[in-house]
Amino acid sequence: MKTVTSRLSIRRFFQAATLFCAVLMLASPLQAKDTVVKVGNIIPLSGPSASVGLQGKQARELAVEEINAAGGIKSLGGAKLEMFYADSESKPERGVAEAERFINTEKVHILTGCWNSAVTYPTTAVAERYGIPFIVPVSVSDKITEQGFKTVFRIAAKDSWWTRDQFAFLKDIKTEFSAPVKKLAFVYENGDWGTGFAGQWKKLAEAGGYEVVMDEPYPSTATDLSPVVQKIRRSGADVLMLVSNAADAILLTNTLAEYKVKLKAIIASGGGHADPSFLKAAGKNAQYLFDIVEWETDVNKSGAKETNDKYKAKYGQNLTGEAVDAYVAMYVLKDALERAASTDPAKIRDALAATKLNSGPGMIVGYDAVEFDQTGQNKHASLVMVQINDMGAGLERITVWPKNARRSGYTPVFPMP
Amino acid sequence: MIYILEDTINGILMGSIYGLTALGLTVIFGVLKVINFAHGSLLMVGMYAAYWTVALTGIHPYLAIFIVAPFMFAFGYYLQDIVIKPIFKAEKDVREPITVIIVTTGLWYILDNLTLLVFGPQYRNLPDNPLRGKMLEIGPMLISVPKLFGFVMAILTAAAIYWFFQKSRMGRAIRATSLDREAASLMGINQYKIYNVAFGIGTAAAGIAAVTLVPFYNVFPSVGVLFDIKGFIIVVLGGLGSIGGAILGGIIIGLIESIGPQFMTATWTEAIVYGLFLVFLFVKPSGLFGAKYDW
Repeated sequence: MKTVTSRLSIRRFFQAATLFCAVLMLASPLQAKDTVVKVGNIIPLSGPSASVGLQGKQARELAVEEINAAGGIKSLGGAKLEMFYADSESKPERGVAEAERFINTEKVHILTGCWNSAVTYPTTAVAERYGIPFIVPVSVSDKITEQGFKTVFRIAAKDSWWTRDQFAFLKDIKTEFSAPVKKLAFVYENGDWGTGFAGQWKKLAEAGGYEVVMDEPYPSTATDLSPVVQKIRRSGADVLMLVSNAADAILLTNTLAEYKVKLKAIIASGGGHADPSFLKAAGKNAQYLFDIVEWETDVNKSGAKETNDKYKAKYGQNLTGEAVDAYVAMYVLKDALERAASTDPAKIRDALAATKLNSGPGMIVGYDAVEFDQTGQNKHASLVMVQINDMGAGLERITVWPKNARRSGYTPVFPMP
Repeated sequence: MIYILEDTINGILMGSIYGLTALGLTVIFGVLKVINFAHGSLLMVGMYAAYWTVALTGIHPYLAIFIVAPFMFAFGYYLQDIVIKPIFKAEKDVREPITVIIVTTGLWYILDNLTLLVFGPQYRNLPDNPLRGKMLEIGPMLISVPKLFGFVMAILTAAAIYWFFQKSRMGRAIRATSLDREAASLMGINQYKIYNVAFGIGTAAAGIAAVTLVPFYNVFPSVGVLFDIKGFIIVVLGGLGSIGGAILGGIIIGLIESIGPQFMTATWTEAIVYGLFLVFLFVKPSGLFGAKYDW
């Protein structure tokens, strides 16, 4: 008797399950009619750049939540943005493989990424081959938009603009404080990004009449940077210019302080120095450091403070320049999709090329518009210089340059005491 | 001249710390005949253990050794007992069980990614520890105090493990097992218990290395990978299974890294280290102190 009941109940269970499945199968074609725009994001979520990759992911998510909550893409009948994430591990071959997978298996309509220039460079080539538009929120290597590709669009300033502004800043600050600067030391991570910067520094130093006393690429994976710091100390440089990822930025800053290296100024290039964990981990050793970035929380734009507060409440950190680029990228995409009124990659691409975004919640950047030139580079992207200092409320990043953007009442500290 | 001396001292100090990080690797290989790819992750676990011990209790960073080393011993002991032993048993007829190596690789990924999930990718260090940035000034020379301590700890740990292997009853049993596991079993030695203990000792050595690193280094989920690769080179240089060889191998790497950049860019010293690694594999694959013949 017992067995019969249990068998009966099993049969009933299967009947119910079959019915349930049938309902699901009937329902799903209805759902499929609602268009979704699939966005494939390839960013470093583990490995040496995981910290910055996570910020990019969070910023994207914040923007997409806002866009979807506000009714999605109206010209596509309220289509929602659906986000796919892949971990590049900062490795070019991973980026390429994930792009192939996104395009062929997930059938994404658009790709974004990859933060590491070395990953973005080969990965954009995959997108170009398939004609999938690729938004690069931030990967600064010049050559990314110089491949003659039709599908690559970069929001951030490219690295030749970063170095140009670093030297412009150096010239201005030298004049402002009438302190002579003659000898420069270049220390940079030996990847695409660092060597790209250093190549331009050398030209700019020559043009500016500076003497380069040290030119040192180092591996970002170094476990001990005291030999490099010793070399800086012995070079007698006035100004040290750095390109570093997070772990090595912290290690360098602390080691420079340990060896009591005397410099007039340290000028960093964002990246590791702009990582939120940098200030916490380097602490007082980071004081007076100059860093060039695209965005700072004290930027004077409407909506910037609110977005930052929202982000901070959600993720416990301030927005960084990189995060803002990722955030803006989603609004650039939304704007293009509205105009394209299609999920056809070719139409999205054309709409992106015609972008002229100068208002809306995405425009919390320091400049006034997003507009791409022939190569896909955002023409208006610009940079600011900040100094790390303690104004009584703990160490913070204070905008000092260009002079009209300087936080009112702040006088930069130069040379370093 | 003074520069060379200063760099040599830094190279020896940092190198001995590299040796200390590789010590556990060589111990585990010597006994289990297994290359433990998860060793860097064990070091990372030790660094998080040391970091949280100091951050939460506020004790002197070096006192953490008394908490971290036993904790890591237990961690290694049970990791071997629960995760690795079953695989070992499945392959007990093979001298160098390949699947165990694959399991340790899996462990590496699991530990690193678990840490990433639990603690996030942030870089942490102990900002207010009494050792941070401490330098010994001898004339114009600057010598890092935490590194000096690392040097002392490396020598002490190596000596202690060596003594334990040579003199204690358990140590002899471990050596017997590493020489011939069949014969040792016939003599009544519980092979798997020996493996657990050896793995525990290797992991505890990684814990000690972690304690010496935490006062001046960053803690983050993939930190082990940076030391892992160096660890492999070091044990090959010193000879797989040789305790003194690990420390000496570490010092050789440290010296190259420290003196090299004064004559060339820092990127090149890495190439030299790997080049040396290849030369050793060609010329003296058993390393400086490794056994020439294998039983």
